[in-house]
Amino acid sequence: MNIEYLVMVIAIMSVATFATRLPPFVLFSGREQHPLLQFIARYTPPMVMTILVIYMLKSVDYLSAEGLYAFIALFVTIGVHLWRRNALVSIVTGTAVFMSFVQGWF
Amino acid sequence: MIRDAIKTTLPIFFGYLPLGIAFGLLFQELGYPWYYATLMGVCIYAGAAQFMAVGLLAAGAGFVEIAMATFFLNSRHLFYGLALLNSFGNWGLRKIYLIFGLTDEVYSLMSTIEVPEGTDKPQFYFLMTILSQGYWVLGCTLGAWAGTKLVFNTQGMEFAATALFMVLLIEQWIKVRRPLPFIIALVASAIALLLFAQHMLILAISLSLIMMMVLRLTNKKVHDEY
Repeated sequence: MNIEYLVMVIAIMSVATFATRLPPFVLFSGREQHPLLQFIARYTPPMVMTILVIYMLKSVDYLSAEGLYAFIALFVTIGVHLWRRNALVSIVTGTAVFMSFVQGWF
Repeated sequence: MIRDAIKTTLPIFFGYLPLGIAFGLLFQELGYPWYYATLMGVCIYAGAAQFMAVGLLAAGAGFVEIAMATFFLNSRHLFYGLALLNSFGNWGLRKIYLIFGLTDEVYSLMSTIEVPEGTDKPQFYFLMTILSQGYWVLGCTLGAWAGTKLVFNTQGMEFAATALFMVLLIEQWIKVRRPLPFIIALVASAIALLLFAQHMLILAISLSLIMMMVLRLTNKKVHDEY
């Protein structure tokens, strides 16, 4: 246990993390209206969202019951969202379903 | 307005609280005082990187290695600002904080939802960011400080993050109404998983961005319709 080392690590990681979030704002400031940048701005979120969903589902162990639970919970989330279109309700319902399975509430 | 901001970020609360607690629990095994977990949540504010930090701290990794590993692990964030260049105005220090707090979840929400009618956008974005970080810091602190004494079982609550991304994916579909970016992302993910499953995020995001741009530059139909 070495507090000085820990504090240095925290400082370095803080700077390194910020350094990944800052560049676009510095590099492209004042050029927001460029057509190619507008194109990128419009289409990165749908691509990132697709990739994040796949990424989250990738770590599930499909040979165990957890894989089945995750898929049921995911379909409940999708179903509730298409039905009510209330993000909070969909997410809470899907999460509750998943928790009920893995914690064996029933 | 704070009520709207809480309502909007509540899904992030459900995701960050259990994840923060899990981090805190892991961190306290290193033997450091609990408030350093709080400090990490305040200063670093990156989930995956903080988990990695526990391993690096235990191994006594060198500073250069830590800086590079952190930068690489978070490199997908390099692309996140692109979608928000237009959304963030010249809001001074507040803008710096918004950039600092641009995590996967906050980015996903901001790039998908519209700010409620009649609310001050910079203020709303600021509240979203500080509330989200608050949930994260709370989780980190609870986990390190009282983790083993917690009575509420959060097992499975981390599914909230998956559900959040799924819901926002549906919202993106409703917003965009064109299949191409989704198909490209699927293809890029498949390639990334096959090549380098461990670094899937950064690989898939850069690949899909390149494919989308190449298509726009070379295909007239894509250029005109997208």
